[in-house]
Amino acid sequence: MQQHKDPPVRLGSDFWIVTAVIVVLAILSIVYWAYAPIDSWMHEAVDRAAQIDLLFRFLAGTGFALAFAVLGYILYFSLKYRRRPDQDDEAIGLQIHDNHKLELWWTVIPTIFVIVLGFISVKLFLEIEPVNAAGGTHVVEALGHQWYYTFRYPGIHGEVKEMHLQVDQPVTLHVTAYDVIHSFWVPDMRLKADMVPGLVNTLVFTPKRTGRYNLVCTEFCGTFHGEMRSGTKQDAAYVYIDTPEQYQAWYSAQQRANANVSDAVAVASAGAVNLTGGDAAAGKTLFTQKCSACHAIGPFDQKIVGPGLKGVLHDPAHPSLVNGDKATPDAVAKILQNGFNGPMGTMPNQTANQLTDKDIANLVAFLDSLK
Amino acid sequence: MAVATIPHSPFAHDDPEVDLLYSETRELRVQGFLLFMVSDLVLFSSFIFAYLYLRSSGQGWPPPGGPKLDLALASINSVILFGSGATMHFALENWKHSKFMKFAGWMVATIVLGSLFLSGQVIEYAKLAVGWGDSGIFGAGFYTLTGMHGFHVFCGVIYLTVLLLQATHGTYTFKKYTGLTLGTLYWHFVDVIWVVLFSIFYLL
Amino acid sequence: MATEALHGGGGIADHIHPEPQGFIRKYVFSIDHKIIGIQYMITAGIFLILGGMLAELIRVQLMKANGGFMTPDTYNEVYSIHGSTMVWLVIIPMLTGGFGNFVFPLQIGARDVAFPWLNMLSFWIFPVAGLMVYASFLMGAPSAGWTEYPPMSLQGQAGTSMWAAAIFLVGVSSTLTGINFLVTILKMRAPGMTFTRMPLFVWGQFATAPLLMIATTALGAALAALFMQREFGVAFFDPTKGGSPLLWQHLFWFYSHPAVYIMILPAFGILSEVIPTFARKPIFGYKMIAFSSCAIAILGFMVWAHHMFTSGMAPALQLPFMVLTMTIAVPTGVKIFSWMTTLFGGVLRFTTAMLFSVGFVALFTLGGITGVWLAAVPFDLHAHGTYFIVAHFHYVLVGGSLMGIFAGLFFWFPKMTGRYLNETWGKVSFWLFFIGMNGTFLPMHVNGLGGQPRRTATYDPQFQGLNQIESIASFIMTAAILIIIINIIVSIRNGKRSGHNPWNARTLEWQIASPPPYYNFKHIPTVFHAPYDFSEPLPYRGLEHELEGTVYENESLQPAGVH
Ligand code: HEA
Ligand code: HEA
Ligand code: HEC
Ligand code: CUA
Ligand SMILES: [Cu+2]
Repeated sequence: MQQHKDPPVRLGSDFWIVTAVIVVLAILSIVYWAYAPIDSWMHEAVDRAAQIDLLFRFLAGTGFALAFAVLGYILYFSLKYRRRPDQDDEAIGLQIHDNHKLELWWTVIPTIFVIVLGFISVKLFLEIEPVNAAGGTHVVEALGHQWYYTFRYPGIHGEVKEMHLQVDQPVTLHVTAYDVIHSFWVPDMRLKADMVPGLVNTLVFTPKRTGRYNLVCTEFCGTFHGEMRSGTKQDAAYVYIDTPEQYQAWYSAQQRANANVSDAVAVASAGAVNLTGGDAAAGKTLFTQKCSACHAIGPFDQKIVGPGLKGVLHDPAHPSLVNGDKATPDAVAKILQNGFNGPMGTMPNQTANQLTDKDIANLVAFLDSLK
Repeated sequence: MAVATIPHSPFAHDDPEVDLLYSETRELRVQGFLLFMVSDLVLFSSFIFAYLYLRSSGQGWPPPGGPKLDLALASINSVILFGSGATMHFALENWKHSKFMKFAGWMVATIVLGSLFLSGQVIEYAKLAVGWGDSGIFGAGFYTLTGMHGFHVFCGVIYLTVLLLQATHGTYTFKKYTGLTLGTLYWHFVDVIWVVLFSIFYLL
Repeated sequence: MATEALHGGGGIADHIHPEPQGFIRKYVFSIDHKIIGIQYMITAGIFLILGGMLAELIRVQLMKANGGFMTPDTYNEVYSIHGSTMVWLVIIPMLTGGFGNFVFPLQIGARDVAFPWLNMLSFWIFPVAGLMVYASFLMGAPSAGWTEYPPMSLQGQAGTSMWAAAIFLVGVSSTLTGINFLVTILKMRAPGMTFTRMPLFVWGQFATAPLLMIATTALGAALAALFMQREFGVAFFDPTKGGSPLLWQHLFWFYSHPAVYIMILPAFGILSEVIPTFARKPIFGYKMIAFSSCAIAILGFMVWAHHMFTSGMAPALQLPFMVLTMTIAVPTGVKIFSWMTTLFGGVLRFTTAMLFSVGFVALFTLGGITGVWLAAVPFDLHAHGTYFIVAHFHYVLVGGSLMGIFAGLFFWFPKMTGRYLNETWGKVSFWLFFIGMNGTFLPMHVNGLGGQPRRTATYDPQFQGLNQIESIASFIMTAAILIIIINIIVSIRNGKRSGHNPWNARTLEWQIASPPPYYNFKHIPTVFHAPYDFSEPLPYRGLEHELEGTVYENESLQPAGVH
């Protein structure tokens, strides 16, 4: 009974003026954000920062434009259509119910926008995600503690308290934690990865700008979570991006300083194990008995107590062992022999695991056969 | 014929025609109960998700140190539980056909079978001989889920006993028996959950 | 049709219990949905004051970069309980148990909800659980935030288990409410009230109820697992025992993302009542608004992992979550644009309720836009865990849900009490709130992107300037809420009398006396049309005798008028 046709709608000239103003503001915001000097507010310290800022320019430009449109029309309608004193109590508004064309437009345009945004973000995501990024040549591990960071470098014994990177050299950064979840965030890099105990997360990027940068923990990790950032009493760690010379100097200094720091738990037998004649099949049986409680035969980040061991000797993304040595059969044998006390926990040594030298040879042969 | 089946049992003499209030109330209660079961299902699904998630985390199943499950015992137990689903169905059908004694018989059978299932469950736990908190993800997956299910069966046995007593005291008539319908729904629900649990623990 | 049949003579609609007598049966252990609704509102209102006072403690601490007002441990407890209170003890109970209970049964022409006793049970669980949350302060409150991520929450003090139990109870209460509301809406509508004739507030509740029912149960499972892990050592989340910290995050967010829509869909419903009423226009695009609520509810189940983009989820999983999250902008946009167009060509009465509603549209849009930014994983890599997140969700929760609650309060207060809230003071409180809200949360965007992490008792001194502005603005917001509270207390006894339909609104609840009698409708009306056509006579039949015997008997049925 009430399905009359809606009355016709006339848009006055002021509507078009407001629309024009909104369009101008929208264009201005897009142009502004396209050229905004983001780098001067916050350095773009790595290649990813510039890439992510490009996405941000798009988000901010369109976001401000949309905000101008919605706020602008709300303000305009509110002023224009407020009840005037001369309108009587019973005055009613224009009795329109819907307009399929209009509704179609405001469904389709946001949909298109979402598709475009989705496309841009997916593309960028695939570029910066480690799975699809070319592996960095420089592997560094960052470890979260309550409430500070440490770092491990291939070739440096033990852990160091500062992070140094070499400008223009691609980095693969593995992060994990000792105790609770922390996070690795350098605002000037625009990159963040949670440090989850029992899980290794990875970031891949290339440093582009030398300097000293703040490192901030963004996952709540206990009493002094707020102090887990560069330059506080709890945590002095900064991230430095060095020139190659500076980096080399630092690296050798650390190597020397930590030369006598031991990664081992306790030495069980002196002398290297003879690995010739190791039997992979025997090693496999032994592995299920003695090792599978702590190690999965899966990728490195598939952790139980220790890391996954599939391809421990053949994983290009993980060229060095947890103790920093290069992944060779001899180095693995050394770990089995001496054990290792690292961030994930304790890898028992030969005595604790009750392994003969022959067992070690068999196990290494087995691990070598996993690809 | 229909007249002839009107009971001469001492328990449900007066059987007034179903009125609108009853049929509407019944509709509400059945629907509310179905929704309750949906949310209960979500509770189980969440724990099933947790179990599958932990199980696929690379430790293998059973995890290191976890015991092997006894498929034979569990199969017998499953047959018992499914059997009780059937007896429950017969019980309700007999009620609908106004056969009180048969109804009561099937109800008792259901309750007995349910209790047998629980005993089987207890035996299985005893044989496994590992604790809930000290068996790693085995306890988190197996004991939590089967324990939750066992608790549902336990509640179900009590629930059905109460329904049987109520029926004996004339709470329901052969035309008005929403409570019995709900009890049956609940029992079948517990059965279906067991199908899922059995498959993911013993067959997967 | 089915609904017609349901309301023939002698059915449940005509099944009237005698009105309970005595204070306890009438006001304490009441089974009347209206009383229960008001009980919910009062309880949630008290928790709003408590949660808000905790928020002000946060802001006082953050006045200075190195804090000093509280110890970091206390600070951590304070914001954890602030977040938990606001989400579970204020917004959700207020919008579902409170406004839902009071308003929607009236709007569908029912005499009560489907299961009144269950309704009473739902309510009484809630204050008990709330007290448990606050009692946890005595044994060391949880301190890992409202999200309580393990392994941090496994280190938490004893109160963390208490917290888990309390929130579990809140969940039970929510689940029961969801079931109750869903059955009521499906089965107890007045004859002729088809789905497309339901008021949009009812649609809001209808889309929310399944979320309450399904999502909350998943939260229950997560909390139960946390409790078992903490108390019995069952290895769900502890990585040293083989558990997985990420498992908690999945279970928690599978609930908590739908929960944010639990907190906004009913508020959307309030807006869809207030805006057409004060524009004197039919709501624009009724069907699309109703449909988009359902679309949001369904999509809401498929996006939870957008809170975990930095946690270490497989990249192949992140992509669908990213894209699905972005699509929610489309149905939400439909609503925003429809409300905007409802303003167009109206004769807008800027009452306090209307001011809060229009303010809602503006501020929620800003919060929604930043939400879409966060959905883009590469941007979230930068913004996650910072004050940018805090800014995003306070814009949708304070600018959205809380302002929606205030709009509903000013709108339905006359129906609950028969008296107006003071409009002048109402407008003052709106403007103070609007200014304070933006002053508090706008600068957080800048600080967040600049590098200030959330959940910290101290921060880098470079952020101190804006933080002081935030703190001062938050005191303005507190003043606004204080004025509203005083307004309520004064107006309950001394407010101007409103008559039964002061706003000239057209939904069913306004056609009966204020406050409505125990059984709502003397005679269940028949509905002929959706309610929003201001040029037409009311689309109901059978309401002729509703006002007989009330104080309004001699008043004309015309509204007292909003001028
Ligand atoms: C759901 C709704 C909601 C609401 C309404 C609010 C309201 C407010 N919130 Fe909150 N907030 C959250 C939900 C909410 N918040 C959540 C979920 C978190 C995350 C927690 C976590 O990280 O785990 C959070 C975190 C959070 C933080 C971040 C803490 C941190 O990360 O370290 C801050 C900081 O400023 C903040 C501030 C405020 C302020 C100033 C208000 C103001 O709007 C409050 C306004 C003031 C009042 C409501 C008080 C009014 C009345 C009185 C004081 C009257 C007293 C009078 C008498 C007794 C008569 N909130
Ligand atoms: C009422 C509560 C509420 C609501 C409605 C929303 C709505 C949305 N939220 Fe928000 N969110 C929270 C409460 C809420 N959120 C909370 C509490 C947290 C933090 C929890 C914690 O960690 O403590 C959070 C965190 C959060 C994150 C995680 C950030 C992180 O921790 O890293 C993300 C990421 O995707 C997100 C996204 C979104 C999106 C896309 C929407 C969308 O639904 C928004 C849709 C709306 C619009 C887009 C505006 C209107 C639309 C138009 C005008 C149409 C045109 C627009 C476009 C095409 C863009 N939210
Ligand atoms: C008690 C648990 C435990 C047992 C048993 C154990 N490991 Fe380990 N293993 C670890 C931990 C923990 C680490 C990592 C140490 C660190 O980095 O903190 C590790 C590291 C290793 C590594 C180095 C991996 C890498 O990528 O660098 C190898 C190889 C290894 N273990 C082999 C074995 C073998 C073979 C056995 C069986 C004889 C075994 N482990 C038994 C805990 C264990
Ligand atoms: Cu480490 Cu926060
Ligand atoms: Cu979310």
